[in-house]
Amino acid sequence: MDASQLVKGLLDVAVLAVVRDEDGYGYDVVRRLRAAGLEDVGDASVYGTLRRLYQAGSLTSYVVPSDEGPHRKYYAINERGRSVLADGTKTWQQFADTVDRVLHLDRVVAA
Amino acid sequence: MTAPTTTSAAQRYLADVEAELADLPPEERAELLDDLAMHLVAVEEEQDDRPLAARLGSSADYAAELRAAAGLPPRAAVSARPTRAWAAGARTRIAQIGQQRWARELRTFVPSLRPAWWVLRGYLVVLVPSLQGIDGTRDFPVPAPWGSHLVGVLAVLVGVTASVALGQRRLPRLIAALVLLGNAVLLTATWAALLDAPGRLSSYRFTAIVEPALRSPEAFPLTSVHGPVTNIFPYTAEGKPLTGVLLYDQDGRPLRSSLQQWWADGCRRVLAPPVAADGVAVPFSYPHAYQLEGAPVDPQAACLQAVAAPKVPLPSFAPAQPARPAQK
Repeated sequence: MDASQLVKGLLDVAVLAVVRDEDGYGYDVVRRLRAAGLEDVGDASVYGTLRRLYQAGSLTSYVVPSDEGPHRKYYAINERGRSVLADGTKTWQQFADTVDRVLHLDRVVAA
Repeated sequence: MTAPTTTSAAQRYLADVEAELADLPPEERAELLDDLAMHLVAVEEEQDDRPLAARLGSSADYAAELRAAAGLPPRAAVSARPTRAWAAGARTRIAQIGQQRWARELRTFVPSLRPAWWVLRGYLVVLVPSLQGIDGTRDFPVPAPWGSHLVGVLAVLVGVTASVALGQRRLPRLIAALVLLGNAVLLTATWAALLDAPGRLSSYRFTAIVEPALRSPEAFPLTSVHGPVTNIFPYTAEGKPLTGVLLYDQDGRPLRSSLQQWWADGCRRVLAPPVAADGVAVPFSYPHAYQLEGAPVDPQAACLQAVAAPKVPLPSFAPAQPARPAQK
């Protein structure tokens, strides 16, 4: 299976996860995801996801003006975002456990 | 600090992405692009020698990915791109009209006319070029390329067959576009030929009027380039109209003109030739005298016995000189 397809479906949870403890602006979020191992994650995908989560009310945002560089739009998780993240984490955990079992069973049958 | 060149690269990239998002509602696009501009500048802040397109992918891919992630619909077909609110409204309205019963029937009816168009196209493709150039043969309704109706009929058969075959086939995009272009050229040429028809008809006078006249000398014994000659009006050099002039040709045969059968005033007239002493009518006495006979073709017509002579621009001659005695 193509890992990038899998990542796309999980991007909501992953993005919420990297801003759970610290607010971040768009490229910041991309860097955190890549640093965490999701190296293939697309810049536009992350940015689009941030926007969608913001519109869905899972993130709040604020602009930090800067004299030297560009103004940055920071995203912060809110209560709704936290519950979405909790649900997503639970769903992923169950799914991952199931897949684990299937893969393990597969190995047993093959052996 | 961002170098101006990289900033303009970001602006260019942003403009390309913006073009890709042109179908989105204006507010949404503006908001998205406003954020994106900030984001692109942030991306540029990263020290990286590679151009933006290499780092972010093509603007089209970027826009597509952005749409997918942001939960926006994929780019609509070019034809269905609501760039303005009123355009979107109009589209909705058109879609509503399209759902109505008569519109649905029209949609099924119009395609059923396509074979008729194919046949017409095959005919026009032969007819329209044949109309160019006056070659003395009538090109309508049966075109006569190179002056031959037989060739015309064969060419129309070939043209119609080819046109129908072309219409039934599914063509590659490029070929289909060329065919569409050809259709447009053909229809334009047809339109031009239609506009030109009155002038062309007068050019056909020779074909339509003079030629049949030449073919049937009994009905039209005397013809000019303008068609059958139905009367002759002789004048003296002083401009005095003559009557009862007897005309003969170079071999001494009486000159017989055609007879006028149709009168502009809607009356019926018959030739009233003078009668010689031996009781024989002399039909080559000019100008012809006609007399009314029977009910007029047009019941409203006010019929007069006399027929006005045509107005002619008479030449004026110098007064005749007295004959000089021959010199010895």
